[in-house]
Amino acid sequence: MTDHKIKRFSTYRIAEHWVHMAIFIVLVVTGLSQKFHSLDVSMWLIFHLGGIDYVRLIHRYAGMVFLVITALHIIAGIVCVAAKKWPPSMVINKKDFSDAIHNIRYYLGVETQPAACDRYSYKQKFEYWGVLIGSVIMIFSGLILWFPVFVTRLLPGEIIPASKVLHTNQGFLMFLIIALWHIYNSIFSPEIFPIDKSIFTGSISRDRMLREHPVELARMEGRPIAMIDAMHDK
Amino acid sequence: MLSQNTHTGIMVALLLLIFAASPAEPQNSALSDEAQKCLSCHSQHGLVKTFENKDTLVAYVDSEKFKASAHGSLKCSDCHVDFAGEKHPQRRFRSKEQYKTKSAMTCRKCHRYEQIKTKSIHSMLLSEEESGMSHPCTNCHGSHSIMPVSRKTFKNEEQYCLKCHGHKLNMGFKSGENLSLKIDLSLLQNSVHKRLSCSDCHFGFSHSQHPQRNFKSRRDLSIANSETCRRCHFDKYTKTMESIHYAMLSQGYLNAPVCTDCHGSHSILHFGKERTIIAQRCRKCHTGIFEVYSKSVHGKALFDEHNQDVPVCIDCHTAHDIKNPLTLDYREKIPDMCSNCHANEAVVRKYGLSTNVVKTYLSDFHGVTLSFYRKQREEFNKPARQIAVCTDCHGTHNIISTRSTDPATVKANLVRRCQQCHKDAAKNFPDAWLSHYEPTLANAPLVFIATMIYKIFIPIMVIGITLQILLHIWRYAVNR
Repeated sequence: MTDHKIKRFSTYRIAEHWVHMAIFIVLVVTGLSQKFHSLDVSMWLIFHLGGIDYVRLIHRYAGMVFLVITALHIIAGIVCVAAKKWPPSMVINKKDFSDAIHNIRYYLGVETQPAACDRYSYKQKFEYWGVLIGSVIMIFSGLILWFPVFVTRLLPGEIIPASKVLHTNQGFLMFLIIALWHIYNSIFSPEIFPIDKSIFTGSISRDRMLREHPVELARMEGRPIAMIDAMHDK
Repeated sequence: MLSQNTHTGIMVALLLLIFAASPAEPQNSALSDEAQKCLSCHSQHGLVKTFENKDTLVAYVDSEKFKASAHGSLKCSDCHVDFAGEKHPQRRFRSKEQYKTKSAMTCRKCHRYEQIKTKSIHSMLLSEEESGMSHPCTNCHGSHSIMPVSRKTFKNEEQYCLKCHGHKLNMGFKSGENLSLKIDLSLLQNSVHKRLSCSDCHFGFSHSQHPQRNFKSRRDLSIANSETCRRCHFDKYTKTMESIHYAMLSQGYLNAPVCTDCHGSHSILHFGKERTIIAQRCRKCHTGIFEVYSKSVHGKALFDEHNQDVPVCIDCHTAHDIKNPLTLDYREKIPDMCSNCHANEAVVRKYGLSTNVVKTYLSDFHGVTLSFYRKQREEFNKPARQIAVCTDCHGTHNIISTRSTDPATVKANLVRRCQQCHKDAAKNFPDAWLSHYEPTLANAPLVFIATMIYKIFIPIMVIGITLQILLHIWRYAVNR
């Protein structure tokens, strides 16, 4: 019973993650090598990708794909949540803040138990919203930098260097969030090492559900949360 | 016995040779009777011949010099044919010049045309004579003190050469052009080559050699002569071989400059610190560009204020290995050229100019792209496109100060520059470039604020995430 798999992600989500991952890698490689252009490794990379012009071209077309999948994600999310087809499980609520404080207290040894999270933990929600808002910033600033002549017909010229600051810093920030936080939580965290495969297989073990998403598990199994807590203690 | 006779015979023969040779030695010659008679008057000072145009000629003859001359044994009437015996006609001449020309005709009686023509220096003069110019022999050889040039003693080679080249001398070319071969000694003595001898440069010419050379034109002569410079200045010569001027010359464009066109020949000088001279040399051919340059901020400072900090032609184009400035290669080096001064505090600080201009260019889109293109071409031989460099906005020879013009005009001009690449650029477009300024709250608030936010936010984010991770690992370890 304990290690039976529970369905967690639909095929759509699995595919979406794959595409996002691939595009993100392309954008990071072609983007950061431009940001840190004086590094030898950037030079090497750019020249082996066919020169700066090609790298910029790849970055822009990858950005187009990124725009499309991000837009689809947002539209699908808004429509389906509004139509009550999907539960608003990503919406940040009061419990997320109390969970965060609770967990810090737990890490410091004040609390005996970690916070009991729902479908998405506060860590996942904060990361999700951080990356989503970041993506929107990246898309808009990227488009402005791609079409400076058009943009300055409508907006003051200063918007261009400002967008450059936004794009380069936000891109770097997103890279850091993914490289440090996301990779830690889905690969290097001792609780899930060597890798969290749920986004690739679409299912998660009941054990991990019990540990990481007890509230959702309780709802799925129709038990009160207290029982789940009791199971946790065993 | 026999041998003694032979000895005596040789002695006699040698003595005979000496005596036989002696009449040719002017020092030993005695004055003829006629000469002594003439000299009784003409060796006295005060005899003056006056011509119709009031020119005068001293009719005094130094008897010692005459005696020592090549013609010391001749009779006076051998040359002065009109004055044979008791005859002393009163002759009339328009001018001294006419007199000299007329008198010198007598030389040809002995020194035949065919004979003197064989010397190249003579052949040149004689050919001019045919076209009506007069070159009296006496101009070079003297009259009563006449001597073969080769037997004269000269202090140095210069004196030897200037014996002829100090006079009005012309060289004719097949093209019909003429070149004066008269050398001004004072020019030579003021030149940097004043310690050199003529033959150091005029290779192949000496006391004994004066080859006859034929050139199609003056230009051919100049080009051929400039080849001699490399015998000392080989480093400069090899540099010029990489220049656009040399390339043009070798393609048959003979007006492309050679050494002497810029440096001069006999009057060769150090360019030294006087930079106006440099610009003036280039002006000889590049007149239009010079005019534009002289009205630019650099040119005005050079000519009006005598400012020696400003670039002249060679600072960007170099002096000897001048490259074609229209190549991509040259274009990509333009920011380096400008930064020689504009990134140098010692040069531009005193004019209140910022040394940030190069840094801000290089860190922005155009500068970064340029750096990439340069490296791509140098190391990977990948193609590159033209990208805006300093001169695309500021101009090249016509650079003007942005401070001398009102900001609205500068901006309007800038839009036009932008439009050369960004076709549909609107009047707002140049503001996308922060005009070499580092963003501040005053000049670019949006950029400044965004930069500040990320400067604070990124470290906080990274520290926060790292702390979370460390706490998580610590709790996990404690729990185990």
